[in-house]
Amino acid sequence: MISAIYNFALTTGANRVIKGARIEHVCGDPTLSPEKDYAFGMRIVTRALETLTTAVAGPTLFDPMTPGTTPEADHAS
Amino acid sequence: MSSPLRVVHYVNQFFGGIGGEDQAHVGVTVRAGAVGPGRALETALGEGARVEATIVCGDNFASEQAEDAARTIGDELDRLKPDVLVAGPAFGSGRYGLACALACKVAQSRGVAAITAMHSENPGASSARREIYIVPTGTSTTSMPAALAALAPLARRLGRGETLGPAELEGYLGRGVRRVHDRGRPGYQRALDMLLDKLHGRPYRSEVPYAAPERVPPAPPIADLSRARIAMVTTGGLVRKGNPDKQVSANAVRYHRHEVAELESLSPSDWEAYHAGYFNHLVNSNPNYILPLSFLRDLERHGRIGKVHEHIYALPGVSTPVAVSAGHGRNIAADLKAGGVDGALLVAT
Repeated sequence: MISAIYNFALTTGANRVIKGARIEHVCGDPTLSPEKDYAFGMRIVTRALETLTTAVAGPTLFDPMTPGTTPEADHAS
Repeated sequence: MSSPLRVVHYVNQFFGGIGGEDQAHVGVTVRAGAVGPGRALETALGEGARVEATIVCGDNFASEQAEDAARTIGDELDRLKPDVLVAGPAFGSGRYGLACALACKVAQSRGVAAITAMHSENPGASSARREIYIVPTGTSTTSMPAALAALAPLARRLGRGETLGPAELEGYLGRGVRRVHDRGRPGYQRALDMLLDKLHGRPYRSEVPYAAPERVPPAPPIADLSRARIAMVTTGGLVRKGNPDKQVSANAVRYHRHEVAELESLSPSDWEAYHAGYFNHLVNSNPNYILPLSFLRDLERHGRIGKVHEHIYALPGVSTPVAVSAGHGRNIAADLKAGGVDGALLVAT
């Protein structure tokens, strides 16, 4: 799940949660130039796809701005 | 000294001693006195209560010929005139649970108090908990003694014409009934008391029932994205321009499935958002913000993913009861699975 209000997603049990940009523009940022907006959106989407190839034990947050194989462990309590 | 409490017990073919699944078709019969678990029920009911008769009915008969079963049970109750009908316990058995619920409803429709017991997730409980008294049990007969111990005192009181108190105090499943009553102290004082208890680490109990969110086991990871079929779902209220499908802007009673097999991206001239929970103007200038088709097409072209699924799913995820949302989610997931989808991106606004 890609969401800008990712804490809701985590506490309500979504297992793979990706930080979106903002509620009004989850996959991108219209304040950037069209090229940078697209690149930013692509980063979010590719990160989201990566999470689908990653095993998780429970609700886990992934940040598109810190790519890597180790997700931020954020098991919502 | 009051006259003894007259109880009629409803059980299925198994507990009635007729037989197992091979006898589930048998119709309604009546035995004098207690049968099977009815004897333990009678003990649990204690002095001054007697199981006058036991109504036995096959579970398949009760569910497949419910009208016949209801009529016969009703006739027998008219004849027996008990103070209370006790049905079950049915534990986790779905058809038995539904049959117990049916028997209780028939009894109540004839002015006979009724109560049953079953597991809270038994279909009989989920379908009838608002109409009848149901004591929660475990899923199997090993919880019989506890079930009868909880059931018997409530059955006695109902049989005596008493009204039961709130579900949380009496121990039956909540029926969704709200009654006005005086809690003694006004809400702001109770709220502050609760806050002080919380701050001091003392036990407190919220007056707002909390239903913990459902935990779903994570899906196993996709082994090879380059061969995976990827779908997209959005709760951002994506609609075709002008909303020809008449999607609502909140409290979605359904979700919408759209075909995108021919599309490279979502154009603002063809798509927009209709959602009461956020400002839609930015999405209206670029709908891919909530349904990232343009990005996935790019990745599909480059072989990073196998295939973009030809259907997208959209609804406005705002002001919708959790149970309704969960239903939408289950149906979308089932559709995705049937469509051979390996993974899905859900964009939530």
